[in-house]
Amino acid sequence: MRGSARRPVQIIILLGVLLLGGYAIGKTLFASKEGLPSPGDTPPAFTLSTLDGRTVSLEEYKGKPVVLNFWGSFCPPCVKEMPEFERQYEKWKGEGLEILAVNLSEDNLTVQNFVAGMGLTYPILRDVDKDTERRYKLRQYPTTFFIRPDGKIGEVYAGGMKEADIDERVQRLLKD
Amino acid sequence: MFQNTKCECGHQNPTGTVLCEACGKPLDEKEAGGTDLLEMRYDGAARRSQKADPSIIDQVWNFFSSVKIAVYLIIITLIGASLGTIYPQEDIFLSNMDMASYYKDTYGTLGSIYYKLGLSHTYESWWFILLLVMIGTSLVICSLDRVLPLYRALNKQQIRKHESFLQRQKAVYTGATDNGEEFIALFAKQAKKRHYKVTRTEDALLAEKSRFSRWGPYINHIGLIVFLLAVLARAIPSWQLDEYVTVPEGDTVRIENTDFFVKNEKFTVQYYKDEELPAELRGTNRAKLYRTDAVLYRCLADCGPSSPEPKLEQVASHDIEVNSPLEYKGLKLYQFDYDSTPVLREVSPMLIDKQTGKQYGPFKLAMKNPQTSYELGPYKLELRQNFMEFAIGEDGKPITKSRDPKAPAFIFLIKGPGLSEEGEPYIYFPMQKDKAAFSQDKLNKGIADRFEIKVGSMTDVKFVEFTTFLNVRVDKAMPYIWTGLAISMIGLIMGAYWQHRRIWLRLDGNAVTIGAHTNKNWYGMRADLAAALKAAGIQVDPKSLDNGGNRT
Amino acid sequence: MNWLDFSSSAFVAAFFLYCFGFLFFVTAIVGRRWSHGNPDRHEKRWGNIAFVVSVLGLAAHLLFFITRWVGGGHIPISNMYEFMTFLGMAIMVAFTIIYLIYRKPILGMFALPLVVIIVAYASVFPQEVQPLIPALNSYWLKIHVTTAALGEAFLAVGFAAGLLHLLRTIDFAGKSEDSRKERLWIEVTMFMIVVAVGFIVTVFAFRAAGYEAQFTQENVQVSQAGEESSKVETVKYSMPPIVKPFNSTLVHMDSFLGIKQPVLEAPSWMNGINAGRKLNTVIWSFLSGLILYGILRLVLRRTLSAAIHPYTTDIDPDDLDEISYRAIAIGFPIFTLGALIFAMIWASIAWSRFWGWDPKEVWALITWLYYSAYLHLRLSRGWHGKRSSWLTVIGFLIIMFTLVGVNLVIAGLHSYAGA
Repeated sequence: MRGSARRPVQIIILLGVLLLGGYAIGKTLFASKEGLPSPGDTPPAFTLSTLDGRTVSLEEYKGKPVVLNFWGSFCPPCVKEMPEFERQYEKWKGEGLEILAVNLSEDNLTVQNFVAGMGLTYPILRDVDKDTERRYKLRQYPTTFFIRPDGKIGEVYAGGMKEADIDERVQRLLKD
Repeated sequence: MFQNTKCECGHQNPTGTVLCEACGKPLDEKEAGGTDLLEMRYDGAARRSQKADPSIIDQVWNFFSSVKIAVYLIIITLIGASLGTIYPQEDIFLSNMDMASYYKDTYGTLGSIYYKLGLSHTYESWWFILLLVMIGTSLVICSLDRVLPLYRALNKQQIRKHESFLQRQKAVYTGATDNGEEFIALFAKQAKKRHYKVTRTEDALLAEKSRFSRWGPYINHIGLIVFLLAVLARAIPSWQLDEYVTVPEGDTVRIENTDFFVKNEKFTVQYYKDEELPAELRGTNRAKLYRTDAVLYRCLADCGPSSPEPKLEQVASHDIEVNSPLEYKGLKLYQFDYDSTPVLREVSPMLIDKQTGKQYGPFKLAMKNPQTSYELGPYKLELRQNFMEFAIGEDGKPITKSRDPKAPAFIFLIKGPGLSEEGEPYIYFPMQKDKAAFSQDKLNKGIADRFEIKVGSMTDVKFVEFTTFLNVRVDKAMPYIWTGLAISMIGLIMGAYWQHRRIWLRLDGNAVTIGAHTNKNWYGMRADLAAALKAAGIQVDPKSLDNGGNRT
Repeated sequence: MNWLDFSSSAFVAAFFLYCFGFLFFVTAIVGRRWSHGNPDRHEKRWGNIAFVVSVLGLAAHLLFFITRWVGGGHIPISNMYEFMTFLGMAIMVAFTIIYLIYRKPILGMFALPLVVIIVAYASVFPQEVQPLIPALNSYWLKIHVTTAALGEAFLAVGFAAGLLHLLRTIDFAGKSEDSRKERLWIEVTMFMIVVAVGFIVTVFAFRAAGYEAQFTQENVQVSQAGEESSKVETVKYSMPPIVKPFNSTLVHMDSFLGIKQPVLEAPSWMNGINAGRKLNTVIWSFLSGLILYGILRLVLRRTLSAAIHPYTTDIDPDDLDEISYRAIAIGFPIFTLGALIFAMIWASIAWSRFWGWDPKEVWALITWLYYSAYLHLRLSRGWHGKRSSWLTVIGFLIIMFTLVGVNLVIAGLHSYAGA
């Protein structure tokens, strides 16, 4: 391999190193954090049934601003913020805002009783066996994702929200 | 710098050659006049990288081709690796807590600095991976640059070497013989007896043994490269699966991101009995066994999370223990942890009419998605509300504190003879402790005097005693990892437990000059040479063949 | 007499046979001076006697190992006592093999004390047979530990020969800066060995005296889940507390030389469990090491290394260099196989991953990287002789840290126990 083959071999090996090594190092720099989907990410897809028996998937809402809220009746801040969301829904419905409230895998009876007492008009989705919640890597309840019309996450908020909090975010969402 | 690479024996050597490829005479002018021991590595051949006018590619190549650089890389890597052991690494913590404050609170300012420097994830840091990549590069280039010239040099060895080449070996014999022909013949015979491969000419001899051991280091390096590539391949997403499943005893649970389900038929935990323990450990719970009797299913249809009844087909079963995972076609289930908190599943209570003493039922009340109405004799129970972990909220209304049946409560409407038309509410706590804690009878007020819902005996209560946590793994790179390690090990053994030994003999009239070389174990080398000399009629002390000191 | 009692007796026998083996090796080498007439014959004869006694010691040690295995129901390598005794035995095996190749009695003068120190150190730890916890119940673990220990044993013999080579070749009369530096560092090495002996002596002295002191310490712990909890723990000292644990109160203390109170308190960053006790032990070891070293210096009237040097001059330094290198060349593949490859196989079965960057794993890797650097320096950069010998000394330090230091200082999956 003296002479003619030498240079190509060198170049191939160095290129290979650059490619593989670059990939390995790049991966450490842009490592996907083991946490919530963050702004700019595409939210994990799901298909869930609503309280009234319809099936809803997230992709149907592409093109519309969506507020995706995870809640459970066992979580006081979740319960507290639900009427606030209802008021916001009433306010922005006309502009095309959609709210999807995913229940955290509770019982039929529990959810029905709970929602009946609240008078909520936005759709309540039923997660099963913590499947969707796990895919969104939730660690804290409630958590709310503001999804832009282009289908990407605009903002994420962990913890209970006041109407003003929701309002300013929805406005940003509608501006996009 | 101009260097004459043509040897006096007429052979044209490539640039960078130290010892003539043909006769072994040192080529460097200064070196040629010396009497010191020769540097024999790579048999004095030119390393591929040594070139008269290096370009940038050559310079990069030369950088990685240097053993000095390789040693620096090794040293830097080992120092870097040791830094990662000062405090625990982040990834041993499962939960999602705030790491910055954890390091500060636990280890003080130093811990805080440690975290800020990124040393809390040393082994995933860009610089550590960069070091590993550089070591990998160095492995490829160093080996390639050395193994080819060495192969050429060993493949076309000239038998008769230059006198100065022999004199300057580390084991040397010079003497005289009356009968050169016979001397060589006897010498060769003994060398063959010691498993040397002997080639000779009229006035010279080359005896060589275990040349293959020279390839050991390179085979080792190839193995390490395969290993490193396999480690890199673990980044391919479809080659990896790392899931944790929580399986209560008796349940069948879907394994995320696969089409498999796993059933926990039974979980066993055993502790050593006191008589099995030495005195100072008695009375402690020393675990002896954790075992999940598991069955693995493949899902054929209706596999979605909301599907009520997936079609399952059993594919494997195994009693999973620590050190004994369930394996099925590359999928492995490991015993990871367990929980021994009992979880209530179902109760079968009776409705008792306290006034008549009549009992109705029992009826099955599941904790999860219970049936909502029950016909019991003349009475009808309608389940109105359920709470998994009952509590009274701030506003005085009943709430649930979680979604796990830790303190379940059920509110029924009882309808029937002697009760109001719309029914009367009755709250029921299946667990005795809650019944007392929340004073069920007081909450029920008047109706508590007429009715009671309660279980007859413990057989009417279904608990899950244990919940097992399994770690589900797929790692398709593993076969390549083991292959790389096996190759590496073979190379190490070849290189370490055999030695390449060579003896050159040259006759000049009556004068005999012998030089011998090995890459390690001079002790054995000298013994071989002494034995061959003895066979040829010359008695020497092996130690006397030593041509002087090591370079220090 | 049951298996375990018999086993303990065999252990004591092995210990004393090693001690005698050492003395006979010393006789073989030092005795060359006073054997009128034929020093070589003297060395050979006493060398043979010493070797036979050492091999008998190894046989007794093997007997200890096998009977403990039978009596305990599992191979005795599952706690610190068992592992260190096994390491001592492995060093004897490595020494025996190297001795059979090279037949240099002077090697015994260095390998045997190493074994004696390690075996004595083992006895510091609790000696009861402890039933295995599930994680340790794996034959791959057994293969991993035994092979790794054997590899380390050869590397340790490489260190013994390397140290001997240094004592042989360092210029003890030289005035140059280099030889002064070398003399300093070789003496530091000798001092460290004396400190190790000091530690063992102190432990057994206070154990024999039945010394005890007790503290309660309040510890704030953060669990893996991130919950903080404070716990009051009792810390027991078996040496007089020069340093008391951080944030602790004295419960009871036997008076020592009239001292009834601890002198100092451990600094706050040493707040780990038993950190105060470990610091106290280290201080005691250095103190008794210093005293021991001082006595030796008074008796010898020169540095330890200078005192040993004259007895090493009869051996060819090149031979020592080669023995050291050979031992390492034999040990390196065994170490690779045992400490890395078998460890990975076991880890992939027990922990669901073949590598987890656990401190012990990392330090095994560091040892491996270090010795591979040694081999490259030697083979490709021509580091022979003294430089190579210094490397073996540092290498042994790294091995000892991997085996002992990691357990004491850093906790991880492997931390079976701490003294």
